[in-house]
Amino acid sequence: MFLVLVLALFFYVYYSTAIQVAREADDAVRREYALLASAYESGGLRELNQQVIERAAAEGPLQYMLADPEGRIIAGDFVALPDRELTGDAPQMFDFPYTVQVGNRTQDEEARAYMGRLLNGPILMISRDHREVRAAAARMTNALSWAVGIAIAFSIIAGIVAAWFAARRIEHFTETMKLVMAGDLTRRVGVIGWNDEHDILAKNLNDMLVRLEQLVHAQREAGDAIAHDLRTPLARLKQRIQDALEEPPNEEADRDALRKAQEETDRVLKTFNSVLQLARLNAAETWRFSRVELHTIVAEMVEFYEPAAEAAGLELTMQCSPYLVVMGDARLVAQALANLLDNAMKYTPEGGKVMVSTAARSDGRVEIRVADSGPGVPPELREEVQKRFVRLEKHRTSPGVGLGLSLVAAVAELHGGELMLEDGLTQAGTRGLAAVLVLPAAPPARRGPAL
Amino acid sequence: MRVLVVEDDIDVQRFLRRALEEDGHTVDVANDGVTGETMAGDAAYDVLVFDRMLPKKEGQDIVRDLRSAGVSTPVLMLSAKAETHQRIEGLNAGANDYLGKPFEKDELLARVRALWHGRDRNGPVTRLQVGDLEMDLLARTVHRGGAKIDLQPREFRLLEYLMRHAGQVVTRTMLLEKVWDYHFDPQTNVIDVHISRLRAKIDRDFATPLLHTVRGSGYRLEA
Repeated sequence: MFLVLVLALFFYVYYSTAIQVAREADDAVRREYALLASAYESGGLRELNQQVIERAAAEGPLQYMLADPEGRIIAGDFVALPDRELTGDAPQMFDFPYTVQVGNRTQDEEARAYMGRLLNGPILMISRDHREVRAAAARMTNALSWAVGIAIAFSIIAGIVAAWFAARRIEHFTETMKLVMAGDLTRRVGVIGWNDEHDILAKNLNDMLVRLEQLVHAQREAGDAIAHDLRTPLARLKQRIQDALEEPPNEEADRDALRKAQEETDRVLKTFNSVLQLARLNAAETWRFSRVELHTIVAEMVEFYEPAAEAAGLELTMQCSPYLVVMGDARLVAQALANLLDNAMKYTPEGGKVMVSTAARSDGRVEIRVADSGPGVPPELREEVQKRFVRLEKHRTSPGVGLGLSLVAAVAELHGGELMLEDGLTQAGTRGLAAVLVLPAAPPARRGPAL
Repeated sequence: MRVLVVEDDIDVQRFLRRALEEDGHTVDVANDGVTGETMAGDAAYDVLVFDRMLPKKEGQDIVRDLRSAGVSTPVLMLSAKAETHQRIEGLNAGANDYLGKPFEKDELLARVRALWHGRDRNGPVTRLQVGDLEMDLLARTVHRGGAKIDLQPREFRLLEYLMRHAGQVVTRTMLLEKVWDYHFDPQTNVIDVHISRLRAKIDRDFATPLLHTVRGSGYRLEA
């Protein structure tokens, strides 16, 4: 391919130069003719004859010929007129063959001639033989051939080096991938810093490996946590059934054992469903987002929880900015808010406060804030509690599974937002907790067609 | 009423059959989608219960084909996949209700009954009555024994749902889904508190209670 291009270029340069040389030769011949024609006009045949004799004798690329009106040679380089019929007054440009004596050999040549009849009939011809053009072309061919040869040699060497280098890097990639496949997820491929395709590929591979490691790590952590959260109640369940079976049959005790076993099973199922939902959120499932008005969701959810809050002796209030819109899945956002409210109500003691508010943030995003006056979470543990399955030891005894916050965090992440934990409402020395679900604001709604 | 159960898991099938028969229904069963569709096409059933994933033909496809063939028997779809978008898919295919596995027996029975009652309504209803409790759906007013009862919009919808299913057990999950359109499981007893507020408004000043708690399952409005 490269070779074809070089050759094509070569021929192009050659022909365009050749045409250029030929054109210049023609111009030189025409100029000389015009010069001599004006010498004839001013000085007559004598002057012209003189000029032709002088010029023919001089060294130069041009040949001259002057003949009388009948075609007999008067002066110049040629011994006979070319075999050419002159018609009209205008001089003509043509090629003609002739022979030249070089030493004792005759040589066939061809020349480019410009011949015409001057006033009162004498014939003047200026010609330029093709030797000049051919020599120029030969010089050029020579130079070009060298250039092309060197270029080809270089490209072959460069190609071999590049191919060898590329092969080495691909080999390195393959080696790394093999190690990763063998289970070593910490491997990364080398980036040289040339920013070439291989570097870009290497960077992408590394990004992929980082993500892969994170995912596998998260899966492993989740697996451990599921194992823990499910194994404990399952073990308890098995123990209960075993105990009941070992006791002598007693209808009331058996019914009671069965009821407890059922409750335990329900808990396991609940945990399992939460785990499953989390897994689905984290999997790359496609969610169709639409414009979601926050205040509608928040107002409905607060209305939904308000009676329960009142029954629990909590003051649930709402402070909503209107017109806040996010791109998202309304059901997921609603569920995240419900989880936050569940949490706030679960951990806030009687007589406390829970406040839900929405606001536009200074960073251009919007937030749903659920603040309570409960015991709060110390700053050093705030990151920890967002992780899956983590529940602070203090709360281990409360019902429910420690998946609430991790689900909210997963919903936030899915929407390109985040969950932040901050200090909440202070009341009687408590720190309180504010869970802030930050979501990207939806772009302004498209306007309808202008009328 | 006659119920057709199409379910390939023998244990679940047996459980469904026994639960529905105990509740006084006549039950036929099919093991695969194609047999189920043929049987359902007879239209001799009052309610159809389909599993979503069936051998030979999926529950969802059966419902779609039945609906386009003009069979309007109410369908309850059962599925281990109870995610929101799958639920929506099932309902779009023409199912009338969707229940995730595993489910409580009471939940199943309540939903099957609700489907059957829902079908019998001829034309739009403008008045509902249970005992001396009356609801005017156009004026959006509620009276009991001639006395006007003021309800919040959501309380009105809650009562409307209960009145439309008067005499049947209505579960908390059903209320959550049908009255609030929420598909998650609140950890707190939110529904119970809403019910007790409603109960305070419609029952407290009257001698006979209408809104009954069915232990372990849900609620029933009954005169």
